[in-house]
Amino acid sequence: MIQAILDAVSLGGVYALAALGLGLVFGVMRLVNFAHAELITVASYTLVMTHQFPLVVSIVLSVVVASLMALLMELLAYRRLRGSNPATMLIVSFGVSVLLQKIYELVFGALPRSASVATGLTGAFTVGGVSITTASVVTIVLAVVILLAMGYLIERTKLGLQLRAAASDFQTARLLGVRSNRLIASAFVISGALAAVVAFVNVVGNPQVDPRFGLDITILALVGIVVGGMNSLRGSALGGFIVGAVLSLLNVILGNGRVYAYSWMFVIVIVILLVRPGGILSKFATKERV
Amino acid sequence: MTLFEVRDLRAGYGKVDVLFGVSLTASKGELIGIVGPNGAGKSTLFGAIVGTVGLRGGSVFLDGEDISGKRPEDIVRRGLSLVPEGRQIFSGLSVIENLTLGLTGRRDKHGEKGALERVHDLFPVLTTHRDHQAGMLSGGQQQQLAIARALVADPRVLLLDEPSLGLSPTVVKDVFDRLIAIAESGTAVVIVEQRAHLVTRLAERTHVLRAGKLQATLTKEDAADEAKLTAAYFGNSGE
Repeated sequence: MIQAILDAVSLGGVYALAALGLGLVFGVMRLVNFAHAELITVASYTLVMTHQFPLVVSIVLSVVVASLMALLMELLAYRRLRGSNPATMLIVSFGVSVLLQKIYELVFGALPRSASVATGLTGAFTVGGVSITTASVVTIVLAVVILLAMGYLIERTKLGLQLRAAASDFQTARLLGVRSNRLIASAFVISGALAAVVAFVNVVGNPQVDPRFGLDITILALVGIVVGGMNSLRGSALGGFIVGAVLSLLNVILGNGRVYAYSWMFVIVIVILLVRPGGILSKFATKERV
Repeated sequence: MTLFEVRDLRAGYGKVDVLFGVSLTASKGELIGIVGPNGAGKSTLFGAIVGTVGLRGGSVFLDGEDISGKRPEDIVRRGLSLVPEGRQIFSGLSVIENLTLGLTGRRDKHGEKGALERVHDLFPVLTTHRDHQAGMLSGGQQQQLAIARALVADPRVLLLDEPSLGLSPTVVKDVFDRLIAIAESGTAVVIVEQRAHLVTRLAERTHVLRAGKLQATLTKEDAADEAKLTAAYFGNSGE
């Protein structure tokens, strides 16, 4: 039971980081960046391809590669679309996602690439007669540290203040001097770095990286930011956490019926959204359209 | 000496032209009014000046430098700030966070503390509510915050779009008294108002904007003549 709770918190933490990365970009650009999945994938490939390097070097490289790719996405694909409606940007992000998957397929092949990354984290230890995996504890610690650091960045720094202001009203933020190019680029770079952290904990648990490696977690993280509230970074992180934790617990609770874990999770998501249509932390009521 | 000049400005949205060659000037410490009915193009004029509405012709000069077509974040750094219509404060942020954002557009980063002290002197209520959420302030306090947020950038020219909107007469008088003080300190203040009488009493010159063109320019004395003001505002018939 303790391991199940730790796993739930651990998976929740990972999804919270993924949702935060998506939420940051959504906040400043109103872009649901579906291609966030490919940032996780490229960071995962980097970890696998550099597994023979010291772990720290490998992790730093994966952060750099994912951040650079995020920056390139912004510069080459999204910058010209800033004034476009959200549907156009979403479709372009699908396009970027598919294009990158195909590029990964050409470069790394369609079959999974695998390597043991951070082998020291794959073991288990016993506390009071209960066996606990090292990976779950490390993941929780990493998620807490990164989330606290992100909380500090967003709540206590000038960059964070500008990100919050831009998420609320970008045009007014620009009128006050907030440099739009620099701020959006920063959001993408941070989003890429968060994708690399997500990649690391995922690769430790499942070192079989294929071109669609980041897809599932990104889809569920997207569900998370809707559940938490798309206009709130805290909401994104909370929603991501809830989705990850609930999914993990359902896998345990349902036992042999775990094939239905996704179905039950989406039932829970629908119930939450029926009660709080704008998301858990959203301050805004939904507008009646019909 | 002219500090701020708009020369033959033309702007619009999509296929619709809104401004058809607007020209005006302001000198250091001058308070200038722009009045006109709904749809005259007043907010479009300010949007075109600060770079949020695309220009179709003409120029904007600040202290001799052509700033037309520059990005909003670059224009504020050159010393031109806008207090937008409806205040547009960040209601989810605190008062001090709103003011801190205003500092982003300063050219002189060393003077930030002094700038905050000056706006706290001008608007003491902001000190009292320093850590309160801006959305919880009254309408008048929010307007003061919006003006203070623009002022901390140390603008040479301050544009205000409908600063009286949604405010009671007492609060409006209070806000306009502060604007006079700001102009007296050397900042050129340009106020757009739909309620003409609010600004004509104070402004050295009031331009009447109608159908995207400046139709008349009134001095304080001209504007005191109700018939003259009405004729300029609505056209010759005064209807």
